[in-house]
Amino acid sequence: MGLYSYLLISIIIFTIGVYGIITQRSGIKILMCIELLLNSANLNLVAFSSFNGNATGQVFALFSIAIAAAEAAIGFAILVALFRLRDTINLDNINILRW
Amino acid sequence: MNLNVNFILLAPEILLTVLAFAVIILGLLITDRSKNMLGYISAAGILASIVYVLGNGMTGKVSYFYDSLVVDPLSQVFKLIFLIVSLIAVIASIEYFKNNRNQDEYYALILLSTVGMMVVASANDLIALFVGFELASMSTYVLAGFEKKNPASLEAALKYFLIGSLSSALMLFGMSLIYGITGTTNIPGIIDFFSIAPFAAESSLGVLAMIFLVAGFGFKMALVPFHMWAPDTYEGAPSVVSSLLAAGSKKMGFVAAFRVIVLALVAIRADVHFTFAILAIITMTYGNVVAVSQRSIKRMLAYSSIAQAGYIALAFVVTTQMSIAGGIVLALGHALMKGGAFIAVAVVGYMVLSDNKNAKNIDDLSNFAGLGKRAPITALGFFVFFLALAGIPPSAGFIGKLLLFYSITIEAITPTGVLTSSWLLLIVIIAILNSALSIYYYARVIKYMYVLPPVGEKIKEPAAYVTAILIAVVGTIGIGLYPEPFINMAMNAANIVLGV
Repeated sequence: MGLYSYLLISIIIFTIGVYGIITQRSGIKILMCIELLLNSANLNLVAFSSFNGNATGQVFALFSIAIAAAEAAIGFAILVALFRLRDTINLDNINILRW
Repeated sequence: MNLNVNFILLAPEILLTVLAFAVIILGLLITDRSKNMLGYISAAGILASIVYVLGNGMTGKVSYFYDSLVVDPLSQVFKLIFLIVSLIAVIASIEYFKNNRNQDEYYALILLSTVGMMVVASANDLIALFVGFELASMSTYVLAGFEKKNPASLEAALKYFLIGSLSSALMLFGMSLIYGITGTTNIPGIIDFFSIAPFAAESSLGVLAMIFLVAGFGFKMALVPFHMWAPDTYEGAPSVVSSLLAAGSKKMGFVAAFRVIVLALVAIRADVHFTFAILAIITMTYGNVVAVSQRSIKRMLAYSSIAQAGYIALAFVVTTQMSIAGGIVLALGHALMKGGAFIAVAVVGYMVLSDNKNAKNIDDLSNFAGLGKRAPITALGFFVFFLALAGIPPSAGFIGKLLLFYSITIEAITPTGVLTSSWLLLIVIIAILNSALSIYYYARVIKYMYVLPPVGEKIKEPAAYVTAILIAVVGTIGIGLYPEPFINMAMNAANIVLGV
């Protein structure tokens, strides 16, 4: 498989993620879609790293995996706190703030 | 690389990181009641960093860690902005979070978010830039939802988190494409590659990468198609955190854009100035028009902050030394004015809650009636900040706007009076009309404060709030009266931006 197959897979994953963020209403599902976006970028980085013949991309991917883990932890913490207070994480019901 | 390098210029970052962990550990050891002292410790650390940044690194350029962090005039100016904002926020928090038993986490998060912003200011490598962005963003996600029994605060945190992490993902995707094209993550390396091979930047992959980067930074700057999170987050978050977000976190997007986008524009001489002009005009007009109809003052300040981001974005329209210096001075001024204004809203909240424990909509316009009699220092603060935001001299807002508008006008009209570019002149006219429109909604609040009769007793304003507001007032007027040192500082930084 050449570089283009990896980029194609990464673009497909990215598109699935964007589609999910637009259509889903549950906080958890949107969080999962954001993870998809981050992972499609990681796939890109590793594929380019192998193609360019230097390791910088793989180092970048490791950093971004660690950051994505921390981000998910914070996201779930906010969702849990919200669920305790409101008994819902459906974004359609989270509408106190509006103009 | 020589590992015995001298890290002394990174002392502020090191100090604040150590302090953040020290505050957490200290919080475990002391009783809940003595936690009030943690705010003073954090403020002292930030003050020491400000003094250090003012005294060091304002000239020349030193790079660290395989050229991934640099200390130069640009980084120092923005570090100064971030440190001042976080100093104001920490001083006000001493009162806002008094006797809260989670103060240790609160101050640690503020310090860490400041370190993240400072790393972004120094970043010379896409990896450092991304990590700094994420450190600052993640700390502020938690800070926005810090009042976890308050549904509005949590809702603000959720919206901020979802949009913020989406923008980080877009930014990372853009960075991965840039790495794929150039084979390096070092920013000067990327610029070199693009100046040798401009066709690579104009290829479809290069354009796509640029769009993702602009979108990622645009979310942080709250430029108009990417602004939806800002009003909700600023309204729902605790006022002291809103001041950190609006005044500090937003500038992080600008410094990243100065480092990456402007350098790339200069290198490939691409004609995207028109795109930025449209973005800036839409942003300032939208912000000002929507702000007119707001009754919640925090929401009004949020929209006015979007409008100010539009003015600062004018720096990208001509990318001359003067326009970028104007953008930096306005960013510094906006940090002081907006940070101070949100703190002043916190005083109004304190006043309303001391009248009535269960008050709702504490930042509603009606609560501002007679504020000049009820809380004179706060009302004076609002008066100065609002006039400065509208661009009335002598204030930091006036100096920044003057530089920005003048820099575009001299590109549009030659000294002999020949019109060279009518669309640039049109942009200046629209921007000035926008400033005029903004006076309307600021003046309305001033009328409420000084003309309408007060609805309650005079209150004693807490010393911590007064200190924070006075720092911001002195800074705002000080830059207006003695602009030269700040303009020189911004001019030096602009030289770095342009790669001179």
